[in-house]
Amino acid sequence: MTRSVLLVEDDPRVRRVLRLALEDEGYHVTEAADGEQGVDGVTRDAPDVVLLDLMLPDRDGFSVCRTIRQGSDVPVIIVSARTDSHDVVAGLEAGADDYVTKPLVAKELSARIRALLRRVEPSAHQHHRVVWSGDLRVGVDDGVVSRSGTPVSLSRTEFRLLAELAVMEGSVCSREHLLDRVWGYGYFGDSRIVDVHVRRLRMRVEPDPANPRHVVTARGLGYRLVV
Amino acid sequence: MGVTAPRGRRLQQWMSLPRSLRSRVTVAFGLLALALSALLAALAWTFVSSRLVTQRQDAGVRATTVDAEAITVALLRDRTQIPSLLDGLPDTGSSSSLLSSGGRWFTTSPTVGPRSLPAALVHTVDGGLVARQRIDVAGAPFLAVGVPLGSSVGGAYYEVFPLSDLDRTLHVLSVTLVVAALVTSLLGLAVGRFASRLALRPLVRFDEAASAVARGDLDTRLDAEGDPGLEGLAASFNRTAEALQQRVVADARFAGDVSHELRTPLTTMLNSMQVVRNREAELPPSVREPLALLHDELNRFRHLVVDLIEISRHDGGDPLVLETVHVGDLVRHAADAAAGRPVTEVDPAVRDVRRPGDKRRLERVLTNLVDNATVHGYGCVRVGVLPAPGAVRIEVDDAGPGVAPERRDRVFDRFASGGQRSSDGVGLGLSIVARHVEVHGGQVWVEERPGGGARFVVLLPVEEV
Repeated sequence: MTRSVLLVEDDPRVRRVLRLALEDEGYHVTEAADGEQGVDGVTRDAPDVVLLDLMLPDRDGFSVCRTIRQGSDVPVIIVSARTDSHDVVAGLEAGADDYVTKPLVAKELSARIRALLRRVEPSAHQHHRVVWSGDLRVGVDDGVVSRSGTPVSLSRTEFRLLAELAVMEGSVCSREHLLDRVWGYGYFGDSRIVDVHVRRLRMRVEPDPANPRHVVTARGLGYRLVV
Repeated sequence: MGVTAPRGRRLQQWMSLPRSLRSRVTVAFGLLALALSALLAALAWTFVSSRLVTQRQDAGVRATTVDAEAITVALLRDRTQIPSLLDGLPDTGSSSSLLSSGGRWFTTSPTVGPRSLPAALVHTVDGGLVARQRIDVAGAPFLAVGVPLGSSVGGAYYEVFPLSDLDRTLHVLSVTLVVAALVTSLLGLAVGRFASRLALRPLVRFDEAASAVARGDLDTRLDAEGDPGLEGLAASFNRTAEALQQRVVADARFAGDVSHELRTPLTTMLNSMQVVRNREAELPPSVREPLALLHDELNRFRHLVVDLIEISRHDGGDPLVLETVHVGDLVRHAADAAAGRPVTEVDPAVRDVRRPGDKRRLERVLTNLVDNATVHGYGCVRVGVLPAPGAVRIEVDDAGPGVAPERRDRVFDRFASGGQRSSDGVGLGLSIVARHVEVHGGQVWVEERPGGGARFVVLLPVEEV
């Protein structure tokens, strides 16, 4: 099945070359030259993944990301020309699922996209595909998450993060493990991606995100789902 | 960095001791005090000793003359009782008396006889003059005084006074003076040290500030603190430091800006290259070799730009992203990935060591060291993670030509490669290593690997091992 990528990038040369290279990698690519076109593109083309450049002529990438996130759970990968910590965290806080920095190569980008579109795989000893954490139901197979019977809406990546925690049945997941399982990084992914996503996940599933009862931190080790 | 200074430079420093202004001032004070106190001691010695000797001689001559008059009077009365006459003289302490009368000698001492008296002395006294001379009897110093007895009696009277007590006094005096001179010199040194510290305090602060700037703390400034002697110096120093800092910041910003600007065209080039290489089979064979060259160069260019961005990030004060890092795991993942095969050996004693660290930067340290071993050391042969006092010791070994001792300091400079081939694209790698290790409070240096090759050592402090 051909996956589709929406490329939001103002530099026409980069747009052209990334389209060519990503098509070589087997993706169907649509293009947007600014933020407005990008937001329209998400609703019109319903892409599988959005590649969003942060430096856009009409509006900044963070606000575009927030707008996209309001109406869609599509994975968004931020393309940044800067590596400042501030930029990365701000992009993730705005709802992005991952980030890459220029100079970027289509092959590496493709690995990132594949990871974000991956499904949660069952672990070997997994029998129950529905995991309960108190009143929080995590349906690993059906993708349904609910609290006290009320459905909780999560982005694709937030759900996969929760599902990876769920299939560990209460054991601690290191950041490295989560980076590998959810984002397809090896050992050396940016742990802030995990931390920001856990924070976002808590906003959705915890009654009091400041005092989490379901997704708790194991200091210096990682996170675990209380089951 | 724990790098040793080249031997030549160290020898030079040693030869030019005392090299600091302060120790020069201190030594000058000490020498001056020594010279002055030695002069004073010499003067005191000369004056006091000559005074004491003269006094003793005058007293001897006076006593002998008085006794000689008494003997003259007695002899005029009775010539027969000479021995009892000598014994009957007033007691003069430990002196001995000799009397020469009518060619015979009489003495009161069993040790001091006429033989003890020098012939010249006897001759002078026989000639009718009062004479005195220092003599040695059985190794001890004595003063012999001779007085001719009047022509009515004839003969001469001698008294011999022991001088050993005077010599002892003079000896004590000389020892006292030498000790005093030495103590004065030491006091001079102390005063010199104190005075130089007081006088050179502004210069010491200047030196500290200049050293801080040399170490890279470019925001160091000198405060004159109301010292008029320092104000001019402080002002010009601060101007220089300010200009230097602006220059460095501008350079760093320029390098950063340039590398950022290069990112977009580099993205276009790299991806175009990928598209072309995907169609390599469709290309005529004559194009393939230049294409491969272009591809390799493009990748090196990419590395260089990424390194430049890394350095400008660091210079721009990009903060550490700290988290708890499992050191052994991190080293194993980074080094094995960079070497493309398992090379890491983690000592069981440090298997579970964790410390706060910036994972990305530490990965970069290991990757760059292993890459350096690959390019300059014919490949990395081992990466060791070992316990060290208060630290974890990471060793990256290669079996290459090693790094010559005089180059070990400089390999961590920008664009200074470990080997002779400076165009292999790791010109910035080791300088990034040095910076990243430094921000983790660690040390890095290169040494010789036992059995040949280079060993890069990273020492990362940990709270407990």
